Amino acid sequence: METRPEPAAHRGLMARLDRVVVAVENTLIVVLLSVMILLAGGQILLRNLWDMSISWGDPFLRVSVLWIGLFGAMAAARHDKHIRINVLQHFVPTRVADISRMITDLFAALVCGMISYHAVHLVIMEKSTGGHAFGNVPSWVCELIIPVGFAVMALRFLLSFLMLLTGARTTAIQEQESP
Amino acid sequence: MIIAGVVLLLLALFGAPLFAVIAAAAMLRFYRADIDLSVVPIEIYRIAETPVLLAIPLFTFAGYLVSESRAPTRLVYLTRALLGWMPGGFAIIALIACAMFTAFNGASGVTIIALGALLYPALKEGGYSDKFSLGLVTTSGSLGVLFAPALPLILYGVIAQQQGLGRSFTIDQLFLAGILPCLLMLFMLSVWSVWQNRGQPLHPFSTREALRALRGAAWEIPLPIIVLGGIYSGYLAVSEAAAATALYVIIVEVFIYREIPFTSLPRIMRESMILVGAIMVILGASMASTNALIDAQVPTRIFAVLREHITNPFTFLALLNVFLLFLGTMLDIFSALVIMVPLLLPIAIGYGIDPVHLGVIFLANMQLGYFTPPVGMDLFLSSFRFEKSIIEVYRATLPFFFILLVAVIIITYWPALSLTLPGR
Repeated sequence: METRPEPAAHRGLMARLDRVVVAVENTLIVVLLSVMILLAGGQILLRNLWDMSISWGDPFLRVSVLWIGLFGAMAAARHDKHIRINVLQHFVPTRVADISRMITDLFAALVCGMISYHAVHLVIMEKSTGGHAFGNVPSWVCELIIPVGFAVMALRFLLSFLMLLTGARTTAIQEQESP
Repeated sequence: MIIAGVVLLLLALFGAPLFAVIAAAAMLRFYRADIDLSVVPIEIYRIAETPVLLAIPLFTFAGYLVSESRAPTRLVYLTRALLGWMPGGFAIIALIACAMFTAFNGASGVTIIALGALLYPALKEGGYSDKFSLGLVTTSGSLGVLFAPALPLILYGVIAQQQGLGRSFTIDQLFLAGILPCLLMLFMLSVWSVWQNRGQPLHPFSTREALRALRGAAWEIPLPIIVLGGIYSGYLAVSEAAAATALYVIIVEVFIYREIPFTSLPRIMRESMILVGAIMVILGASMASTNALIDAQVPTRIFAVLREHITNPFTFLALLNVFLLFLGTMLDIFSALVIMVPLLLPIAIGYGIDPVHLGVIFLANMQLGYFTPPVGMDLFLSSFRFEKSIIEVYRATLPFFFILLVAVIIITYWPALSLTLPGR
């Protein structure tokens, strides 16, 4: 996927921005999952060997699940790995499949955009009330991934729509790429 | 409202991401009920308030890591050394190996790709017919969804607990409930395999070979014991067992067997988290839509309508099976769970069915749905992977399908099979 030559619609400022986002996303997935494995494993050892635990450990792990889930979802949008029912696409010609994919991508972008928009409101509201999720970490910081994650997904679905619209991509090629 | 529903259904059928369809349905409901839409991100945030979900990224990562190592080869070698002397033994080996492997990778089709590719030529070499081997391997692709710690089991538990219904249960109980039904399936398939292959040449038992195989897999044998022993003894919570598994698998595959270079870990992490992300957004969206469904009293209304026509729980269960089997061919197991469980659970409880039993019935049907002709996902996967026409795969799988159909019927109408071990 990463070695594939970049299509025309993918160059310029958007492409540079996308590369930065991808690099950040990839690094964060690896760092966060490593921390989760070590922390969750460490908690078991602490509990059983010394009968103690890190107090912020469990709430931190719970929030991490949301964060890693949304990072994964952002990556899934980039790699076209979101779960879909692909019944009808098997039976229609490529052009029809392309058009239906354009419609569904636009729809997905719209839904993600709306979730992101309402999540921004939630974060602002939470910031003004000033609750804490655990320790000194404010709740709104933990919630921040929802508007960010869905905004990134919205942009990726929109990009996919635009690439189909301009013919930079078709669903036929895509099926060959991801067996 | 009906028009909107039809539009959403069409979007789903034409390949819109399911999480978007579910989220849109939820937003529509909230909008019509004059509820502020910021309730949707609030519901999504509940992912961060459900401790057991930690098990999902950790088990998924561990499963991906094991799939990339040579563990499947060792598993086959080991079971062969231990069971190869039995008539039809190698077929039974294939079944057991697949069930254990699927329990770890959550029936995402990895079993057919990773283990099936190994077992199919080995079965043929061992003298089994092409048709039998193909059918067996295709069927085995989903064979462990009822064994702990399969993701679908955990997910069912999470979703059912979200409902806050009267008859609560724990995920450990669900793990216990799956054991006997899954063994029943294994047993029925094994009996058929032995009978079908009477007079096969046998692989004589050799103590030396058995010992060598045991030594070869010495580091992987404790894994099921850590997971299952830890959970069933109550020593580890499900999420802790997942953490222990992930840590253990990294140590074994990367540092002891050295089959996966340390530098590959970031790639495997990213790949496994894509699946986790796809499941999590569906789960998040469904948490919001569940609320909408319950607020609109949809399950209660469906139950009221059903109740007028079906008074007998037995008839309800039969209908449920037909419906779930059909659903399983259309939807993957994760989406089917998040979409249907909130709807079905209150109705099933209304008919006096135990939620744990419902979970087993649900997953058993989904398992069958994977290779129900004409559109079960594993049929296509198998046809693609082994370069057989889809018709050949249909024909090869059909006897296995009927055997498991009988198993599903037994599981459905014999609740004690699921409920005895968890003591319900």
